Order: sequence, then C-alpha cells, then structure tokens
Amino acid sequence: MNGLGFNTFIYLVIIPALAGIVILFLPKKERLIKSLLVFAATLFNLITAIRLFGLEETWHTKWGGLSNFGIDFALRTDRLSMFILLAVGAMAFLVAFYSFAFLRDKDYGKGFYFYYLITIAFVNGAVLANNLVLMLFFWEGLLVTLFGMLLLKGRHKYPTAVKALTLVGVSDLALMLGVGVTGFAAGTLMMDKITAIPVEGIAVLGFVMMMLGAIGKAGSMPFHSWIPDAADDAPLPFMAILPGALEKLLGIYLLVRICLPGTGLYEFLPHTPVSTVVMAIGALTIIFAVAMALIQKDFKRLLSYHAISQVGYMVLGIGTALPIGIVGGLFHMVNNAIYKSCLFLSAGAVERQTGTTDLKKISGLGAFMPVTMICFLVAALSISGFPPFNGFFSKELVFDAAMESGIIFYIAALLGAFMTAASFLKLGHAAFFGKPQLPEDKKVKEAPAAMLVPMIILAAACILFGVWNSLPLGQLIQPVLGDAMAGHNYAGWPHTPLLVIISIIVLILAIANHFFGVKRTGKGLGAVDHIHYAPGLHFIYNRAEERWFDPYEILMVISKFFAWIAYGIDRAIDWIYNGFFVWVANSVSKGLKEFNTGKQSQYVIWAVSGLLIVIFVFAVLVK
Amino acid sequence: MDGQGFLLVCVAVPLLGSFILPLVGRVSVRLRNILALLFVLTSFMAAIRLLPQAFSGGNPVMAKLVLPAGFTLGFMGDSLAVFMALVSSFVGALIVFYSFGYIEHYENQNEYYMMVVLFLGAMMGLVFSTNLVLLYLFWEISAICCWRLIGFFREKQIILRADKAFLVTVGGAVLMLLGFISIYAQTGTFDLTAMKGADISNLAVILILFGILSKSATLPFHTWLPDAGVAPSPVTSLLHAAVLVKIGVYVFARLFLVNFNLADIWNVAVPVIAGISALVAAGAALVENDLKRIIAYSTVSQLGFIFLGLSCGSPIGIAGGLLYIFMHGLAKGGLFLCAGIVEHATHTKDIRKLGGLFSAMPVTAIAFLFCGFSVMGFPPFGGFFAKYMVIGGAVDAGQPWIALTFALGAILTIIYLMRAFIKVFLGSVSFPGAKEGSWEMVFSVGILGLLSLLAGIFINIPAELVDSIVSVLTGITIGG
Repeated sequence: MNGLGFNTFIYLVIIPALAGIVILFLPKKERLIKSLLVFAATLFNLITAIRLFGLEETWHTKWGGLSNFGIDFALRTDRLSMFILLAVGAMAFLVAFYSFAFLRDKDYGKGFYFYYLITIAFVNGAVLANNLVLMLFFWEGLLVTLFGMLLLKGRHKYPTAVKALTLVGVSDLALMLGVGVTGFAAGTLMMDKITAIPVEGIAVLGFVMMMLGAIGKAGSMPFHSWIPDAADDAPLPFMAILPGALEKLLGIYLLVRICLPGTGLYEFLPHTPVSTVVMAIGALTIIFAVAMALIQKDFKRLLSYHAISQVGYMVLGIGTALPIGIVGGLFHMVNNAIYKSCLFLSAGAVERQTGTTDLKKISGLGAFMPVTMICFLVAALSISGFPPFNGFFSKELVFDAAMESGIIFYIAALLGAFMTAASFLKLGHAAFFGKPQLPEDKKVKEAPAAMLVPMIILAAACILFGVWNSLPLGQLIQPVLGDAMAGHNYAGWPHTPLLVIISIIVLILAIANHFFGVKRTGKGLGAVDHIHYAPGLHFIYNRAEERWFDPYEILMVISKFFAWIAYGIDRAIDWIYNGFFVWVANSVSKGLKEFNTGKQSQYVIWAVSGLLIVIFVFAVLVK
Repeated sequence: MDGQGFLLVCVAVPLLGSFILPLVGRVSVRLRNILALLFVLTSFMAAIRLLPQAFSGGNPVMAKLVLPAGFTLGFMGDSLAVFMALVSSFVGALIVFYSFGYIEHYENQNEYYMMVVLFLGAMMGLVFSTNLVLLYLFWEISAICCWRLIGFFREKQIILRADKAFLVTVGGAVLMLLGFISIYAQTGTFDLTAMKGADISNLAVILILFGILSKSATLPFHTWLPDAGVAPSPVTSLLHAAVLVKIGVYVFARLFLVNFNLADIWNVAVPVIAGISALVAAGAALVENDLKRIIAYSTVSQLGFIFLGLSCGSPIGIAGGLLYIFMHGLAKGGLFLCAGIVEHATHTKDIRKLGGLFSAMPVTAIAFLFCGFSVMGFPPFGGFFAKYMVIGGAVDAGQPWIALTFALGAILTIIYLMRAFIKVFLGSVSFPGAKEGSWEMVFSVGILGLLSLLAGIFINIPAELVDSIVSVLTGITIGG
C-alpha cells in the first residue's frame, strides 16, 4: 500500500490513455505534435516500466459500489507482470518510432495513434490488474480498439473487423465465464489470494474457460483465423504490434498466471489430462498454421500464419507444466515478439518502398534494400531456429519439455520447425534474392532511417538474446518461476545434445528441400510447390484456402443453423397467438351464438350458473 | 417541499398533466411539446430530489391514504423505486425530446404526446405504488397507452398488431390479478408494506408470473413485442427502454425480491425460462431482416439476462440485473432511436435494402455502435459490468451451466447486432440522398450513445445506487 508505488502503477494506464484522448481532439494536420505526443507517451511508458522493475507491491482502492461484490480497483506488480510490462513498453516504443515514418503519408495516422495509445493503456491495465474483473475490463476493452484499428484503412474493410471482433469476443466471453467460475471456486476475485485451485468439479469449467480466453487473445487455434485476413486489411504497424507482439504477451501472461506451478491460479500438474489437452491445442496450432504459412504467396500473409503457429510453441511449452517448458514458452514469447515484429516491420519497409507485398511481383530486393534484407535475415534465421539466434534456444527448451511429455508432441514440434524453416527459406529467397523484379519499374531505395532503426534494434536483440541468453533467462524469466525452478538453470547452450543434433538435421533437411524445390521450379517462390501440390495435400490445401476449416465460418454456420431452429420455435409460438387463439375465439363465439335462443328462461339459467362458477372460483382461491 | 410532496409531484404531474396536452395542442403545438417535455422532466427532477433520502438507509418516503377493509392507497419512495423512476423518466425525457423531430410530420400528435406522458406517469405511479390494486391499475393504464401508441399509424395491419399486444399483456395481467386476489386471501391485505416477508403460495407466484412475463415479453409470451415494431420509433424505444417491458422486471423485483419469500424452486425455474427465452430470441434476431424486429428480439433476449440476474438468488446477480435495467435502458433506447433516424431517412426497415449509411449519418452510426457495444457487453461500455455481474451471479448461485447458456446467448448477441450494424451502416451505399435526422433526434441518440460509454467509465456511480438497493434487499452488507 505504498502511495508512490500506486502513482507509478496507475500512470502506466492513465498517461497513454490521456495522450490518446488528446490526440483524438487534435486537428488532423498537426502531425508533428501528435508524433511528439506518441513518442513522449511511449517513452514515458518504457521508462516507467524500467523504473518499476523489481518492485513487488499490491495496491487497491474501492471501485464504488462494485467493491461490495468483491470487485476492487486492485493492482499489483510481481516478477511476471514486471517482465511482461517491460516487454510491452519496449515493443510499444519501437513500433511507435517506426510508425512515424510509415504513417507519414497515410491519412489514418491520427486514428491509429489514438487506438495505439489506448491499446497500450489497456494492455498495461490488464497486466497490472490484481482483480480478475478489473483484468477482464481492460482485457475485453481491447476488442473495441481492435475493431477500430481494423477499420482504419477504410470502412469497406469491415468483414475482417467483424470477424476479429466475433472470434476474439467469443474467447473474451469464455474468459468472462471463467472469471466468474474462478472467483466462485476460490471465494475471492483477488488474484494474489488465489493459488492452486484443484482442477476438479466446477473448477474444470473455470480452468477451461480461463484458458480459452488466454489462448484466444494470444491468437491460438481456434480463435486465429482473423489474423491472416488482418494482414491484408490492417495497417502494417498494427500487425507488428498486436498480433505480432502485445496480444501474445498478454495471452501468454494470463496462461502463465493460470498455470504457473505453485503460485498459479490453478493447480496445473504435468502428465494430467488438462495438461495433455493444452499441449494438444499447442501442437495442432503449430502444425496447421505453419502448413498454411508454407503455401502463402504474400509477404504479410505468410508472416501472419507464423504469428499463429509460434503461439503453438508457447502453448505447448507451458502446457507441459514442466519448469523447462514454462521457461521455454516464456522465452519463446519474448523472442517471438522480437523477431516477429522485426519481420513485420521489414515487410512494412518492403510494402512502403515497393507498394506491394505480393511475392509474385517482387524479387531480388536485397540489392536495393540491403539493411532491410539483413534485418529480415537475422529475424528469419531466429524464427527458423538456427543457432546462435534467440529462437533456437527457446525452441530447444520447448523441444526438451515436449520430449519429456510425450514423443508425439515432440514430433509435431519438429515437423513445425521443418516447415517454418522451409517457408522462410522460400520467403527470403523469393523477396530478396534472385533476379531483381519490381512492380511498374518503380525506383526502389532503402527505407527511411526512422523505420530502419527499430528494425536494427530488434535484429540486434535477436542476436543478443541468443548469444547472451543468460540475460533474459537469468534476469527476466527464471525469476518468474521462483522456487519451482528447483535450482535448475537453463541458460547457456542447450542441455540435451541429442535433441540439438536432431534439430540441426531437420534444418539441413529443410535446406535440402529448398534446393530441391528451387531446382524443380526454377524460382525461389516455387520452393515448396512439391509439397503444396502433392497428391492429397493439394486437395486439403484447396479446401483450406476456400475457408472450409475457418472457425469463424464454422461458427457462422452453426449460429445460422441454430438461429433457424430458434426462429421456427418463435414462429410456432406466434402461430398460437395469430392462428390458434383466433380460431378458438371464432369457434367459441360461433358456439355461443347457438345459445342466443331468445328464451328468457334459458338466459336466467346461464346467469345463475355463471354466478355459481364465480363463487366457486373465489371459494377455492379465498379459502 | 418535503419528500412526500416530491413523491406526489413525481407521479401526479405527468399523470394529470397529460390530459391538458391535447387542449394546449389546439392552441400551440410548440407549447404542447415543451409542456410534455417539462412534465416528464418534472418527474425526473422530483426523482432526483427523492434520491438522497431513498439512499440514506433510513425509512423511505411514504404518502399513504388508509381506507377501510385493509385497503390503503399509498406511494413509497424506496431506493428500488427511485432508481427505476430515475431511469425511466430520464430515458423518457430524451425520447419525448426526440419526438419533436420525429413526429412533427404525422397526424394525431395531440394524442401521441398525451399517451406518451400518461404512459410515463403510469410508470411513475407503478414504481411508487405500495398497493397491489393500485399497481394493477397503473399496469392497465400503461396497457391502454401502449395499445393506442402501437396503433398510431391506424392501418388495419398495424391496429391488429396493437390489439395483439393489448390482448396478450392484458390477458397476463388478468391472471396476475387473480394471483393478487389469492395473496389477499392469504394475507388479508393488498398493502405491500403490510404483507412484507410473507410466504406466498406457488399458485400465486405462477399467476403473477403470467402477468410479468407477458409484460416483459419473455418466452412464450413475447411475440407481441417484435410485432409492436410497427409503432413509431420513439414509441418502440419507449416500450423497450423506458417503460413497458421494464414494468415486468420491476414488479418482479418489487414482489419477489423485496416483498415475499420465494420458494427455492423459482431460483432455478425462472432462470431456465429466461435462458430459453434469451437463446430463442437471439436466434430469431439473427434470422430477421427488419431492423426494428431485430432490435426487438434483442430486447426479449436481454430481458432474459435481467430475469436471470434478478431471479438467480445471489446478491451479485441481483445487482447485475438492476444494473442491466439501467444499461439496457440507455443502450436499447438509443438503438431504437437510431433505427428511427434510419427509417425516417430511407423509409425502409429492411436491412437487405439498407447499406453504407455511415457516411451520410456518422453520428447516428457511431451512437448505434456505442449502444450496440454496451448491449454486447464490451468494456469500457456500461453493459460490460451488468453482463459480467449477471453471469457471475448465476455462477455464484451455483448454476454454472445456466451461466454457460447465457454466455452462448451473449455470443449470439455479438453476431446479430454486428450483422445489423454492418448491413445498415457499412457496405455499398444504398440511399445516396439520405441525410442525418433533425438535430433533436441526433442529439438524443448522441446523448444515449455517450452515456452508454460514460456509464461504464464512471461505473462507480450507478454501482453505488445498485449496491445500496441490494444491501437493503438482502438485508446484509457484503464485504464492507
């Protein structure tokens, strides 16, 4: 309950949000002021996150009448949240810097900055929240900014925006139910008071729903399919910051919050059915998303499938519930944020300089954009898992954990690694090497320095976090697990040489596959055509491209089907009023007409018997 | 003026004032409009003045006339009643203001304003009544107003729909009256304060539920509500947001939460009915192509959430249900008024024919979206808290599966509201000449959209009111 601590906590939410609101009210042409505001706000955010690092505090105040229902405005920092906040701050600052140049000639800059800052405020709030409902408030609030950002490039982009809103909305509603059940099972909504709820009885529902919320935000299957569409329809910095970085950080943050051994919300143990289910989701996400990435012919779209498949590694690692897997998952999360953003930013540089990201229209860009190419290559080698880049080390940790939990998961992860490497060999070859080809003879030159600097920093971080992996592992990640590490230290060279050898064989196979494909088709873009058009696979790929397996389409079909049944019930009920009752009324009145005989004696009998009935009814009711 | 005075002003001004509106209308249309708004605002201001005492925790304001044979006619301004009066009169005032723009080209305006103000007056009377007979009386006044207003356009088909609404709600009300009589038989009084805490028979509960569910358009008594969409948009807005359907949920809260001890079975039975209603109506909303029918089915579905909250039996659920009444009033009122602007500008309600209206009417579109987000339950809009507390309340009451059903209903809510939004406001432009509504109309929807947002950001204020109602209802203060 340190006043200073709170002031600093809450600024992480208030300052970006206020800056965003100010931008909303600035005139459109004040570009410099807006850029300066964004710069100042994100820099402040980063510095605050650094300053707060290591602080472990809780703070709470009443939230009006909500407090009486256990819903307080409560915040806390611990090793997990400080680590995430630091990553959020760094990514947000770098992408903001990049955006200044990227958005210079775009007319949606103002809207972008507004949503961007609000997003950062909400992400910070969700990570800081110590009350589950407060977390849900910030977490689900991101839906609105997501929707707004997807409409920035024009209102005709609404199908993607609605798709994203629906899919993420479903996962957020799952989280809402999960929060309710968790609060009920634990007897409190304060996260620091909830530890290790046994996953049994009603808590199973709570665990599953919380987890769906977490992986849905991270973009895992089955909540993923809006991301490739967004690659086409959203401004590029959006892809770099949200699906590329912040959504992963937030989703994995919650997943770890739920699963962390000892201090997590739920008691999540290795070799249990729930652990297997989580790992299976991770493995399936890796395989299916990377298989789709393999055949893409657009720079951004290809990357967007990797934004999905990489979550699979994190979910698989954390799903093992082993310390090595959780460390691997968290390390992979950081690494992914770095190299995936770097990749998206290099795609943005290509898009800005050439006007397209369609790989059929561009090739051999390396000669014109050497810096972009180098940054791309470093990030691509990282994501493909080449040593000594950062992705290699985190992937090896996940492999280790998967191997220990079941060989099937290990094989899935390896298969994913093969396809990841193959798809990036194809992408890099097609875009940067080969015969130079440019759309409409445009003069292409290197991207402006403001865009290159963030890319260079990220690429450098890929190398730094690989070569000196004891820095992130020792300082940021392993402390999160605390006692659960049981004295282990996973920094340095991977501890299982056999797995490293297998990984390197897989990488060599991927390279061999690439040369085979290039030789077969004569161009880099055709490097995996022999897989794409293989018998059987071709059929499945076509169906996938037609969106047969898109969870959104499936949800729509189910909803429509249900809706028609509901509508049938509704119409049937309506018929009772419009048809049946009318018929009854007509029949009765027709029948009663017969009694209008004109004989007074009969009328007296009716009147008296009617009176008797009334008296009888009252006698029964009014005993 | 003391509390009693404000109580009587709150009820009597719109109730009696409504009758002079047609006379004034013969002299000056402008004066009539201003008077109509003034009467409703008077109620609102009076309700605000009642607020401090109602929420002070002391004895509520009472105005009572004792008659022989256990009959008392009285009004009581407790926290629940004042809360409802505030919500209804505020949304009602905005709707009357909106009507200035909407209704000015139509005939029968004198009757229109009289009925609207009488309707709101009946609502004020109903929420403050302490007597079951009085409550029934106001209930039926509202039915008559509703009948005249739904049939405002006087075409044969429309009048049939109005008759349907009238017959269904009055049919339910007559059964409810039987329930009241059976309560009288049991307790010997119609005075709610005198019979507080009584156990009532399940037969009486069933009979009263007929009335409540038909008024609050819950399955299987709901189909009159979508049909009532033929009414002018401010009227539908009034029915859905401020008065009619809220009467049912209010009486539910008044009788079954404040006044009587309900058998445990109803804590399951009512949520189950509400759940079926919420899902079926949400499905129907996804099939319908008429904008107002979609929003009407949405009301039926959302009423399910309110009933769930009020009936599940946990304090947080009750608070959620009450908050839902408030948030839904703002948002649904706004949605219908937006639909009215669209209908006014394009003369169609068929979403297949509409499209691309965003650029023609940006304020309406954004207000629609804001209200829609609130109904969908996205933070920072107000509906979020209500939705969480209702679902969390069902879980707290030990009914996670019912909570899950409602979460499915909430998914459908997102789908059908987004479908309506994109078909009307996005996509290819359908009516190139369409213009934004008159400034009164745009102002009203803008305010409702903005309030849907502010009610979420400043949730502590409505939550404070709701919390104090719940702590009175449950007799315990939770936490501290």
